[in-house]
Amino acid sequence: MRNIKLTAKLLTLACLVAALGSCTDLEEQLNDSFSEDFTPANTQGATNVTRSTPDDGLEGAFARLRNGSANHQNYFSMQEVTTDEVVITQKGGDWFDGGIWIDAHQHNWNSTHPALNGMWGDAYSAIGEANRLIADGAGGAAGVAQLRVLRAFVVWKLMDSFGRVKIPTALGTDVPQSSRVDAFNFIESELLASLADLPQGRAEYGRVSNLSTQAFLSRLYLNAEVYTGTARWQEAIDAADVVINSGEYSLSGDFSDIFSPENIDNPEHIWTIPYDEATAGGMNFAQMTLHYPSQLTYNLAEQPWNGYSSLEAFYNSFDDADARKAASFIAGEQFDINGNPILDLAFDPDDPDGAPINYTPAINELFPSGSRQAGVRMGKYSSKLRQRADMDNDYVLFRLAEVHLNRAEAQSRLAGNWNAGLADVNAVRARAGATAFTTMTAADFLAERGREMFQESQRRIDLIRFDAWGDAWWEKPAHNDAFKNVFPIPNDQILASQSEAFPLTQNPGYN
Amino acid sequence: MKKFLLILLVLAVGFQGTLLAQTRTVTGTVTGGDDGLGIPRANILVKGTTRGTNTSLDGEYSLEVSATETLVFSFVGYVTQEVVVGNQTTINIVLQPDYAELGEVVVVGYGSQEKKEITSSVVSIDAKDFNQGNVNDAGGLLQGKVPGLTVFNKGGNPNNPGTLRLRGISTVGANVQPLVVIDGVIGASLDNVDPNDIESINVLKDGSAAAIYGSRGSAGVILVTTKSGERGGSSLQADYNGFVSAAQVFRFQPVMDAETYVANGGNDLGFATDWQDEITRTAISNVHNLSVSGSSENTTFRVSTNFRNIEGVLDKSGFDQINARANLNHYAINDKLNINFNMALSQRNQDFSFNEAFRYASLFNPTAPITNPNGSFFQAILFDNFNPVAILAQNTNQGERQTLNFNTQISYEFLPNLRVTANYAQQFGSQIQGRYFSRESLFTGLGRNGLAERQTDENRFTLFETYAAWDKEFDNANLTLTAGYSYQEEQFTGFGMSAGNFPTDDLGFNIIGASGNVLGRQGNVNIYSYESPEAKIIAGFLRFNLTIGNGIFVNGGVRREGSTKLGEENQWGTFPFVGAGIDVLEYADISGIDLLKVRAGYGVTGSLPGPSGLAQDLFAYNRDDSGAGGNVSRVRGGNPDLKWEEKAEINLGLDFGFLGNKLTGTLDVYQRDINDFILNRQVDPAVFGFSNRFENAGKLQTQGIEMALTYNDLLSGDLRWTTGIVASSYQTTLEEYVIEETSFANLGAPGQNGTNMVRVAVGEQLGQIWGPEFVGVDDNGAPIFADLNGDGVVNSDPASILNDDSDSQQLGDGIPTVELGWTNQLSYGNWDLNLFFRAALGHSLVNTFRAFYEPLDPGAINSFNRTVTDLSLPNLQGAQFSSYYVEKADFLRLDNATIGYNFDVTSNDFIRNLRLYGTVQNAFVLTNYQGVDPDPVGDDGGNVLAPGIDRRNNYFSNRTFTFGLNIGF
Repeated sequence: MRNIKLTAKLLTLACLVAALGSCTDLEEQLNDSFSEDFTPANTQGATNVTRSTPDDGLEGAFARLRNGSANHQNYFSMQEVTTDEVVITQKGGDWFDGGIWIDAHQHNWNSTHPALNGMWGDAYSAIGEANRLIADGAGGAAGVAQLRVLRAFVVWKLMDSFGRVKIPTALGTDVPQSSRVDAFNFIESELLASLADLPQGRAEYGRVSNLSTQAFLSRLYLNAEVYTGTARWQEAIDAADVVINSGEYSLSGDFSDIFSPENIDNPEHIWTIPYDEATAGGMNFAQMTLHYPSQLTYNLAEQPWNGYSSLEAFYNSFDDADARKAASFIAGEQFDINGNPILDLAFDPDDPDGAPINYTPAINELFPSGSRQAGVRMGKYSSKLRQRADMDNDYVLFRLAEVHLNRAEAQSRLAGNWNAGLADVNAVRARAGATAFTTMTAADFLAERGREMFQESQRRIDLIRFDAWGDAWWEKPAHNDAFKNVFPIPNDQILASQSEAFPLTQNPGYN
Repeated sequence: MKKFLLILLVLAVGFQGTLLAQTRTVTGTVTGGDDGLGIPRANILVKGTTRGTNTSLDGEYSLEVSATETLVFSFVGYVTQEVVVGNQTTINIVLQPDYAELGEVVVVGYGSQEKKEITSSVVSIDAKDFNQGNVNDAGGLLQGKVPGLTVFNKGGNPNNPGTLRLRGISTVGANVQPLVVIDGVIGASLDNVDPNDIESINVLKDGSAAAIYGSRGSAGVILVTTKSGERGGSSLQADYNGFVSAAQVFRFQPVMDAETYVANGGNDLGFATDWQDEITRTAISNVHNLSVSGSSENTTFRVSTNFRNIEGVLDKSGFDQINARANLNHYAINDKLNINFNMALSQRNQDFSFNEAFRYASLFNPTAPITNPNGSFFQAILFDNFNPVAILAQNTNQGERQTLNFNTQISYEFLPNLRVTANYAQQFGSQIQGRYFSRESLFTGLGRNGLAERQTDENRFTLFETYAAWDKEFDNANLTLTAGYSYQEEQFTGFGMSAGNFPTDDLGFNIIGASGNVLGRQGNVNIYSYESPEAKIIAGFLRFNLTIGNGIFVNGGVRREGSTKLGEENQWGTFPFVGAGIDVLEYADISGIDLLKVRAGYGVTGSLPGPSGLAQDLFAYNRDDSGAGGNVSRVRGGNPDLKWEEKAEINLGLDFGFLGNKLTGTLDVYQRDINDFILNRQVDPAVFGFSNRFENAGKLQTQGIEMALTYNDLLSGDLRWTTGIVASSYQTTLEEYVIEETSFANLGAPGQNGTNMVRVAVGEQLGQIWGPEFVGVDDNGAPIFADLNGDGVVNSDPASILNDDSDSQQLGDGIPTVELGWTNQLSYGNWDLNLFFRAALGHSLVNTFRAFYEPLDPGAINSFNRTVTDLSLPNLQGAQFSSYYVEKADFLRLDNATIGYNFDVTSNDFIRNLRLYGTVQNAFVLTNYQGVDPDPVGDDGGNVLAPGIDRRNNYFSNRTFTFGLNIGF
């Protein structure tokens, strides 16, 4: 009898426990992230705020511009290492990396170059986020207009680098690969269509306005002939005029201020990418270029990588009196924070400079045994003490000096006479303390543009526009391969797209 | 004395029952057929009654029986015999050893079976067969013992137990380790069971056996049974096991000494430092285990405490652990009710030290001093080059881990043939880690004015299961039906913080709150917190086991399972399994064969991705660069179509025995097809806005063969020798994939980024180490590669190894052709000797140390030490990956040699057993591999598609000497 009672009790208990556990609910609840967009409530900022991007719900898309613009093995690398102003030498067992940087320097890149894949993926993640926010109507008409300009800018980067690209305008649907002309037309029409709704005047921090868009248009039209075969010089001049005549911008008195760790709100800035060592990482110029012991010069938080330097001929194209020379390069003997020379204990016995670090303009060879301390270093985005691997400087996408140079070039080309651009060029030269040109050739202009725009990811575009892309320079043989004006579509992307409706195809000339 | 009383009691009971019949006293001796010695405590039962007795310590017995009765003689490990009494008064019995152990009860999912009934590939290893010596995790106990089970354990890092892998690759992106079930608790942590507490381990290898456990058993199942009190055993017994061991580095990375280094052009700093020696030590470990178990009529219990003080050969590395385990088992209501309670707790204080020191020790200038004249550490400011002694001395990397689990299991026999079981278990794990990098540490910390990191991680696992088993006897058949419900919930949480800028190093990471970064907000603080979704698995299952006659065994069933991790429409899956076996000798007499069983099994299991949340878009809030505002952005594109990865496995097996089952063996062949395997793959970002997402991306097929052979008592008599060999082999083919051909395993910095070393292609086997063929060195010291495609142009560009014009080919196979284990158990009198050899053949390894540091690069030789091996070429200067660095890594290793002495304590009332032993682990290795350890490498940082890369961060392997004592009271 007792057993039956106990059995009943146990049965009840078992049923109870079973009932507790018997839920078949499999809804997945995210606990540390959100499953959908939301509008963040206002929060109290820190007290020592210097400057903040506007709280307009657009930062999610604009922040994507940070990816690859100022770090290694991405957009910046492919725009610069392929030119006559920046090189990565193979330093013995260091920086060979399967030969990809030698290939880049000598224009022998192929479709598996990891930097190409990185820039492609980052561009589409920015487009995807812009599309999402555009679909949401983020920031109202002014917000959507800014997002469209942002998207057009990213499509321009893709079109400029790869030629034939997909231009998605909605998430989750595939679109065919556009021709370069179609891409150009898309960018132009998007920019023009956005002008009316955009904030007018000087843009907010890290955002765009009608004037930023005009600056962008001046660059777009300046290169229209390359992109479409049809020159648009007058449109380039008109767009530049709007920017310059607006009176919203002025050339920075001190050239180095434009790029310093405290370069926020420089009067010359038209469109910048805000970087921050803690909350907005992604600028690594000091790590990329400095030699290992230079860590002691700035007490850097992490050891730098000793990769990038400039070419001797390019460095020597600067006058010593030109303020841009000292502001753009780190050259000569190097000292620690207490003023003592810093040593490379692994110096090559054949290196005449010996152990003390001396960034010499001359580089012994591109590969296989480039001297570790040869080559002046990229110093335009200057370093601060105790800098982390992620720098604090904001990256400049558009600034007034470039718009002056765009106008100078367009006027010269329209007039068929390079002296037509002297006024704008000399305005830029004067600020750098360089003597005014009295006369100018195409070569003079290209060199001047090189000095002004060093390390700003413009050199490749300029060399192509000046038909100098195939020229020979140090350790780079000449070529006549017009197809190299665009990079190959990354092989990984071609493979990844095979499962979609519109598989990508490779650019002509590449396999 | 107690035993004697027990026998008297049994005799007395027996006497009462036989008063009515014509009885007489039968006496005799029970001896073992193997050694001819009397078997103590053998069971003698009068068939059909509860009357019986046990033999004395000498194997003698006496019993009152009648002539018509039958006596049943049995003892564990021997074949049971029945004898009709007749008119005999003396019955001497020789019990033959049961080499095949067919009567052994084997724990399988949600129940147990006799070994003969099993139709799948199951391997059972008892404590006596475990690897001995300084073994600190359950995987180590099994290494080499189970065909098809590989324990990947490069080196001897005590804080990093081996990775278990059954039958190679079971999945790509999902759970690759076998499911661990401890005392019926699925998903329990092996970390929380001390090797000393393990009674036996069963490994369920194929799909039909593991399917009952569902997705978590997809990579196979390891069932651990812990020791418990023996019902009806002595009322109280205690055991002590302990050992002391000394470990030394088995093989250092071969590098130049100071003299050779200078002769090769090294920068002579005037000293001679053996850096590898400086950072390592003879590691002394000691382990103590004390357990007490006992029983009353209806209750058994066992409690144990384990203390482990383990040192690693790398300075500072090691741990202290206390582990306690208790189990309590109570029977009530005429054994209808059984309540079982298990609990285990581990507390481990770990010092992880810094494995990076190994690499820097083999690279640092051997002529450099350890310290400067002023006492500070010498540092050469070079890329990726830090004084390894300074790293260990200046910085701290510690952790503390607690694991607690308990489970309560209640089962009740509602009807004589219906038993219902409910099991509730919880497991908690928490870990707190701290790292501190000194203000003086160039390695990390100097530029931050000191850097402190603290993090905690917690996990919680809840299991509720209930199932019922119903038995039905038919005329010539027996049917068991099992049905059950399973609910599992798992969650991970944690947070951490890292900050720098401190006024002193004195408090280590505990000064984190005083960070100048926090107060000044210089943007150097990194704080995070995470909490995973509650990952649930809910399942119902049904199984039948049918035995027809004595020789036909059939089982099958289905499991319906749902998971939170998949797309909403695809959360539920149905997974069937079926198995059959036949004991051939029941139906056909084949002379010379004593055991012949044929088995076949087929099972489908689902596999789940590791992380949760993959089916959903993920949005995160990012504070912008000022801290004043922030933004929301989509940080991951979900895949709402994510569905179950399915593994279908066919297993055919044969169990056989010859020579009276002295020679037994098993042979299994299998094929597993993994469909819709889940992989985080590159997708078209123009469509998804992201370059990667988890997708069901392809299909893998593995075919394998496994064999085990045991020859019992190959020698018998005074010197006895039992030997056994296990062997396994498999190959895996990528049947389908969204991409036809791709490559993985980037060699990396310095200088060899963009150098993928493993190729994967649809329709081909996995494991292809791929690259150019090295043929020599040119006058400039650069490597020369072969023109493999004969087009007159050598294209050795590492970035284009998959291009048509590339001169690349397969350089080796990362997966061994065959893996072997060879066990030898010898005994002579009280002495025993155990020799265990392990071998793997046919695999290659990329020796990355050589690939980076062997060429005499003139830009590096002056300050970086170089690797020197038998393969070194004095004129080679350029480092580029090629066949030159892919080495055959076949090896034969004397993994474990143990010699023991069992003291004769039969006349001692106080001590039950006493054994002393000594063990050498990793006694010797025969190999041509030039690296420190030729063992195969199963994955590359978690990527199972890229086996065979021997990376530079591996802990050095050890040779360990152990002296131990087992004593029972």
